[in-house]
Amino acid sequence: MGRIQLDHLTKRFGETVAVEDVTLDTEDGEFLILVGPSGCGKSTTLRMIAGLERPTDGNLYIDGDHMNYRVPQNRDIAMVFQDYALYPHMTVRENIRFGLEEEAGYTAAEMDEQVEATAADLGIVDLLDRKPGELSGGQQQRVALGRAIVRDPEVFLMDEPLANLDAKLRSQMRTELQQLQADLDVTTVYVTHNQTEAMTMGDRLAVLNDGRLQQVGEPLTLYHEPANQFVAGFIGEPMMNFLHGHADDETFTGSGLEYPLDDRLADAVGDTDELVLGVRPEAIDVRRADEATGEREPGPHEFRMQVAVSETHGDQNVVSMTVDDEETDHDALRAVTDGMHVVTQGDSVVVTIDPETVHVFDGETGETLCNRLLETDPELAAVSSN
Amino acid sequence: MARLELDDVTKVYRGDDDEAGVVAVDDVSVEVPDGDFLVLVGPSGCGKSTTLRMIAGLETVTAGEVTLGDRTINDVSAQERDIAMVFQSYALYPHKTVRDNIAFGLEESTDLSDGEITETVEEATELMGIDDLLDRKPGELSGGQQQRVALGRAIVRDPDAFLMDEPLSNLDAKLRAEMRTELQHLQEQLGVTTVYVTHDQTEAMTMGDRIAVLDQGELQQVGTPLECYHQPSNLFVAGFIGEPSMNVFDGHLQTTELVTDSFTYSFSAESVSDLDLEEESELVLGIRPEDIELGERSTDEHRFEAEVVVVEPMGNENIVHLQFDDTPTDDEFIATTEGIPSVSSGDRVGVVFPEAAIHLFDADTGKAVKNRRLSFTGTPAEMLQ
Amino acid sequence: MSQSTSRSPIDVESLVENFNYRRVGKYALVVLFLGFFLVPLETGIMTALKTNSAIARSLPFAPPAGEGFTLTNLEYAFSQLTNSFVNSLLMAVPATLLNVLLASMAAYGLTMVSWRGQIAVFALFLVGVFVPYQAVLVPLSQFWNNMFPLARMLEPLFAAIPFLQGGHSRLVPLTITHVAYGIPICTVLFRSYYKSLPNSLVEAAKIDGASITKIYRRIVLPLSLPMFGVVFIYQFTQIYNEFLFSFTLITGSNHPAAPVTLILPAIGSSTEGIDFGIRMSAAFLAALPTIILYVAFAEQFAKGLRTESG
Repeated sequence: MGRIQLDHLTKRFGETVAVEDVTLDTEDGEFLILVGPSGCGKSTTLRMIAGLERPTDGNLYIDGDHMNYRVPQNRDIAMVFQDYALYPHMTVRENIRFGLEEEAGYTAAEMDEQVEATAADLGIVDLLDRKPGELSGGQQQRVALGRAIVRDPEVFLMDEPLANLDAKLRSQMRTELQQLQADLDVTTVYVTHNQTEAMTMGDRLAVLNDGRLQQVGEPLTLYHEPANQFVAGFIGEPMMNFLHGHADDETFTGSGLEYPLDDRLADAVGDTDELVLGVRPEAIDVRRADEATGEREPGPHEFRMQVAVSETHGDQNVVSMTVDDEETDHDALRAVTDGMHVVTQGDSVVVTIDPETVHVFDGETGETLCNRLLETDPELAAVSSN
Repeated sequence: MARLELDDVTKVYRGDDDEAGVVAVDDVSVEVPDGDFLVLVGPSGCGKSTTLRMIAGLETVTAGEVTLGDRTINDVSAQERDIAMVFQSYALYPHKTVRDNIAFGLEESTDLSDGEITETVEEATELMGIDDLLDRKPGELSGGQQQRVALGRAIVRDPDAFLMDEPLSNLDAKLRAEMRTELQHLQEQLGVTTVYVTHDQTEAMTMGDRIAVLDQGELQQVGTPLECYHQPSNLFVAGFIGEPSMNVFDGHLQTTELVTDSFTYSFSAESVSDLDLEEESELVLGIRPEDIELGERSTDEHRFEAEVVVVEPMGNENIVHLQFDDTPTDDEFIATTEGIPSVSSGDRVGVVFPEAAIHLFDADTGKAVKNRRLSFTGTPAEMLQ
Repeated sequence: MSQSTSRSPIDVESLVENFNYRRVGKYALVVLFLGFFLVPLETGIMTALKTNSAIARSLPFAPPAGEGFTLTNLEYAFSQLTNSFVNSLLMAVPATLLNVLLASMAAYGLTMVSWRGQIAVFALFLVGVFVPYQAVLVPLSQFWNNMFPLARMLEPLFAAIPFLQGGHSRLVPLTITHVAYGIPICTVLFRSYYKSLPNSLVEAAKIDGASITKIYRRIVLPLSLPMFGVVFIYQFTQIYNEFLFSFTLITGSNHPAAPVTLILPAIGSSTEGIDFGIRMSAAFLAALPTIILYVAFAEQFAKGLRTESG
C-alpha cells in the first residue's frame, strides 16, 4: 500500500511547461525527496500527487489506483504545508480533529482519543486548547504534523515544512521528522530546496530542473556519481568547481589551467570537443607555496594560485582562488580546508587536484562522461567490519 | 561614514497593566568602528531585531545611548539619522519602477537636482548589475533581483551606516551563497559601517568582521567569528555557534579527572592545575563534532567505546550520531567525518577526544573555564588576538 | 511619530519643546473638520428641541433656552413614524441578512472554488454593480405588478397575520428586489477579502477531506466574520435609506406598508408652510437605527476594514 507511480506526468499552465514527462516510482514506505531550484516544478509535482493540480498529460497512480481525476479527499493522503495552514479560529484540538471528522466509522469519543494519542506522540498535549496564534513556529509545525498523522493516511506529502523555522529548530525537527516517518512507515514525498534536508532525510532523492527529472537515486550516489553537470552542481555546498575547456593530446586546457589527463579520464573523453572538468571543493588540497614545494617545480597536477577570499566557518574554511598572473576577476577554484588550516587573502598557494577525484562532463550536453573514483577509508572500514 | 556605538542600551516593552513589562534588550554595549561589519546573531526572540530597529529609530530606546559618528541619536527621528536599512521582505514599493524605487530616498532626503538624482541612481544600479531593469516594476523581478534593488535603494543615499535585517533569508540556498559573497564585496568596496542581523550560521561566520551573540536580550560575546567559534565565553555561545552544535557532557572534577555518567576523562596534570579549580567542581565538558576522532588510531586514555546510532551522509562529510553505553536513549552525541562513510548504524567504534580540543565550562554559570588549544596551520593567524 | 516621552508631568522644558507650530496646525485642522461635520447634526437636534417661536427667534445652532424647549415635536414625529419604522425594519433586516449570506457564498464560489467560466460569471456580477437604480424602475414595476404579482398572491396570507394588514405583502417583493440589487456589490467586497486569505487553508481542508460546503461552513465562514460586520453595516444603511424602489413598489406615503423613507418627505409640511421642528425631529429619529448600528459595531467595522486592506 501507499506506492506512488508517476507515469510520464506533465503539467502545463497555458504556454508554460511546469512539469515535463516525469516518470518516477516510489516503494512502499519510502521517503522520497524532491529537490531542485525555485521554479523547477517540484511543488507542482507534489500538488499533482495531492490532487490540488490536475495533470495535463500522463498518469498518476497511488497504490495501483489511477488518481488523475480523483479529488484530494478521496486519495487517502495527508499534506503538511510550508506555512502550516492551521485554521486560525480553531483550537489545536479542533485543528487535529477536523480531518478525522470526515473519515467514516469514528465515534466522537474515538476521535477525541485519537487526537489525544497523536498529541501525546508529538509532545503537544498541553497545547491542545490553545489557538495557533498563541504558538511558536516549532509548536505550530508539530500541530501541522499532528493533523497529518492523526488520519493514518497512505501517503504523506510535505512542502518545505521546515523552511519557516530557524536553524537550530530546523535541525532538531529534521531528526524528529525522520524518526516519525521511520516509525509510521508511511510513503512520504518531501519537497525542499535545502541541501542538508535533501542529503540526510530521504531514502532516495529526485532532482528536478526546468520541470524535467534529472536523476533519481540515493543521496550519496547523486553526490558522487551525478548523471549530469546540473546534478553535480546542484548537490553539494559549496558547489562543485567546473573548469570549462577542451582536450588536446591527453591534456585539458581551459580556465587558465593545463591539466594532464590520465588514462581513465582520457578514455572517457574520447573525441569529445568541449569539456567541463568537475572537482568537489573538499577534494582539492591547498597548501601555502613555501610549505608545499619549497624550491621544487610544481608537479603535473599542482598549480600555483592566489587566494582571493578565505571564509572561515570554524569547522572548515572555504577558500576561493584565482590563477596566478591571470587578469580575471573570476575565481578559478574554490576549495574547502580543515578548520585549523587557515590561509589568508593574498597568500600564494599550491593547489593539488588528484586525477582520481575528477569528474568529466560533456561541455555541450552536460552529460557525465566519467565520475570520480571512490574508495573508503581503509582504517575505518576495518573498524566497522569487526 | 561613521562609528556606531551602543552604550548600555535597553528596551522594555510595557504592557497595559503589568508594571514590569518585557525586557527585549538588556543593557547591551557594542562598538562598531567606522567601516566595520558587525553581525548580530542569536535565536528568534533574542532581541537582535529590536536592537537593529532601535539603531534605525523605528523603536524608542528605553535607557542607554545610541551614538552615530559623534552625536547621540536617541531622540533623532528615523528620517534624520542618515541610515539606510534593508528589510527581510525588501519592502519595495510595488507601484513604482525600479528607478523610482531607488530615487525615492534621494528625493526625500536630499536637495539634489533631477539630473544629479538620475546620475546617482544609474551609478548605483550599475554597481549592483541591475541597470537593465530600471523600468520594470518589482513584481516582474526575481527574488535575487528584488534583493539587488533593495540594496541599490540603500546604497544610493550614501548613508553613515547600513542596517540589514536578515536580507538573504527569502532567497534559495544557491542564490543566498552568491548574494552573501556579493554583499561582502559591496560592503568592503563602500566601506560603510554595517550592522547585519541574521540567524544563519554561515552568514554569521563568514560575513562579519565581528559578531555579537545575543540571547534573551543580553549580549553574550562580541568577537571575531573564529574567536566566538574557538574561544566561546560561555556555554550558550559554544552551543549556538557551529552547526552541528558542540557536544556537551555534564560531570564533576576528581583531582585530574572529569567524571561523567558515561566516561572518565583524565587531564594531563599541568592543564588542570592552571585552572585553579576546586575538587568536585561541577563542570561541563565540550567538544566540537569535527574534533572527535573515530577509529582505532590511538590507544591513549582519551579513547572510549560508543555505538553508532545513525549516519547521515552529506557527501563531503558525514554526521555520525553516537551513543555511549548505559545512557538514556536520547542522549546522543555527534561526530563529523570526512569522505565516504565507513561506519554504519549499529557499529561499535573507538571514539577519541583529543585533549587539545576540549572546552570546559562552569556548570552553574555556564562561563568558559578552559577553551581549546589552538594550533593553526597555513597562515599562522593573527586572527585571534 | 512623536520621539519624545515626557519624563514627569511637570517637565516644563519638554512641554515647551513639544510646542511647535506644526503640531498646533495639525490640531487646528482636526477641530475645523470636527466642526464641519458636527455642526449640521447639532443644529438639527437643537431645532428639533425648540418651539416654533424659539426657532424663529434664536440662531439655528444655539441650544433651546427656557420656554423655547419642547419635546412635542419629537413626540409627534415619533407617533407619525412608528408604523413606518416597523415596515422599514421588517424589510431591511431580512433583506440585509439574506443579502450578506448569499453574497458571501457567491464570493466563496467565485474565489475559492475553481470551475470553468467563473471569470465570465464574475464579470456579470461586476456589471450588476454599475446598473443605475433609475434604469430598472419601469421594468421592475412591470415585473412585480403584471408578470409576477407576488404581492397580490401573498395578500391573503398577510391578512391573516395580526397587526399586518394585507397591504404589507408588498414588502416581500421589495425585500427580494433589494437582495437581488445588493448582491453584486457585496460579492465584490467579500471576494476581495477572500482573495487575501491564504490559499493553503482551503487546500489543507480539501486534503483533510472536507467537502466544498463544509470548507465554507467550518473554515471560510468563521474566518470572514469581521467582513460580515462591515458588509452588514454597509448594506443595512443602503437598504434602510433607499427611496426609489420603495416609492415604485409601495407607491406612496399613505400606504400602510410605507417605510420610513417614504413618510419622511411628507412629514411636517402642510399648506401653512414647513414646520422645521417636526421635520428635524423626524429626520433625527429616522437616522437613529443606523447611528445605533454604527456605534454598536464600530470596533468590528474597523477590524473588518483593517483585515481587508492588510
